[in-house]
Amino acid sequence: MKPDVGIVMQGFFGTLLGDVAPHLSAEYSMGHVGIMGLMLHMTGELHDRAADVCLAENREMRALFGHAASLVEDEGLKAKLASAAAGEDASLRISVLGENNAALAALLIELQAHVEESNAPWAAGLEARIWDYLVATMERRELPFPSFG
Amino acid sequence: MEELAPRIAAYLAHRMPAASNIEVSGISRIHGGASRETFRLRARWEEGGKQVERALILRRDPVASLIETERDLEYNAYRAFHPTGLPVPEPLYLETDLEWLDRPFFVMEQIEGCAAGSAFNDDPYGAHAEKIGRQFWTHLGHIAAADPDAIGFSANMEPVAPGECWSRELEKWEKVIDEDELVPQPVARAAIRWLKRNPPPPAEKISVVHGDYRTGNFLYDGEGNIRAILDWEMCHLGDPLEDVAWASDPLWAFRQPERPGGMIARKEAFRIWEEASGMKIDPVRLRWWEIFNSLKGLAIWISAGKEYQTGANRDPVLAFSSWYCTDVHDRVLAKRLAALSKEARQ
Repeated sequence: MKPDVGIVMQGFFGTLLGDVAPHLSAEYSMGHVGIMGLMLHMTGELHDRAADVCLAENREMRALFGHAASLVEDEGLKAKLASAAAGEDASLRISVLGENNAALAALLIELQAHVEESNAPWAAGLEARIWDYLVATMERRELPFPSFG
Repeated sequence: MEELAPRIAAYLAHRMPAASNIEVSGISRIHGGASRETFRLRARWEEGGKQVERALILRRDPVASLIETERDLEYNAYRAFHPTGLPVPEPLYLETDLEWLDRPFFVMEQIEGCAAGSAFNDDPYGAHAEKIGRQFWTHLGHIAAADPDAIGFSANMEPVAPGECWSRELEKWEKVIDEDELVPQPVARAAIRWLKRNPPPPAEKISVVHGDYRTGNFLYDGEGNIRAILDWEMCHLGDPLEDVAWASDPLWAFRQPERPGGMIARKEAFRIWEEASGMKIDPVRLRWWEIFNSLKGLAIWISAGKEYQTGANRDPVLAFSSWYCTDVHDRVLAKRLAALSKEARQ
């Protein structure tokens, strides 16, 4: 799709802030336009990487669950982890990746709560690996925010 | 907007029987206050043979909001603090009868000629940062030092014991996440578990907690004087360190972590607060409230996202806060909790 979505969104951001907002008389409307422009700026950047981010998260969570399934003793949780680890993303549509991501995140919560209560020799290492994943994924998700300073 | 003018004029006539020929003009909605519809306006009337003109603010309940609160909480906070000398607008009328403007509202004095810094600006106060920062932390110290009973704040407020402040607030905001999350929230859930496993020491005393004391929620004039502390809709009784932690949360002026809210250095800010409040900041309690406040922020942003997604409220600020503020608070909490987890396992 040309011009690129990112370029179009950046262009709209500039037009809204530079050409539209100054001609609005109502403070309330100007505020809306400013926020909508900012979100177009974010959308332009997100559009390019959203599927990549979600796909990477899903792969990493499945790998983490595969590792955890070999450690945890709780049979019910072990089975859920093994099943999730064997899953795949059947489509690259954001809606599909997002649904899978939500299901995996729910299992991650269950696993993390379980590990926090465990004093097994593997617990500290697995807890650290879960946090490494969460910190890395929150960094990867970081939204662009233009400086207005 | 002007269709509201005759309705507001009729209401003012009802509240001011000695006034005649009341005219309302210049109504404009102020952007940002997603928990209330906020309008500025001018009212003119005749009274005792004289012409009177007053700039007013009207805050009306929206159909749905960023924060579900009762408007009388906010009004009562203004009423309690206005006589104390704390810079707050004079509250004038609280109205819950839907006859006048379809929804409950209150009217207060408009503080003119002032600005509010943006919480999302790197440097919201520029050359006034130092001067404003000193006042900001002094005023917060005075709020903490105020006797909630003596100033009439406690009336109709739910009492709380010093050892229960933390659990009451945590329960409240956990419930918001339970009810409003659109997708599972691993970082928020980890924070809730950490907060429950590591309760803070009891509050030094029960104070007024503003609940949203931060960059963007006060007005200052051209000389850098704070003229009005606003947005008390989340006020309650509780641990004064809750406000200290919220005011210094990394979300406000995010790129300046060592100058909370883009004002003065953290160490100096806390020294000023201690001097004004007469209390000491216990680092263990403060840490708990810092983590709690990032979680409370997440709860608010999650709730805002649900309002927008369901169509209950299509104010763009709800979508923005759900995207951007969730992004920042998730990152802040993940880093902090990861470090605490590793520390606890050593």
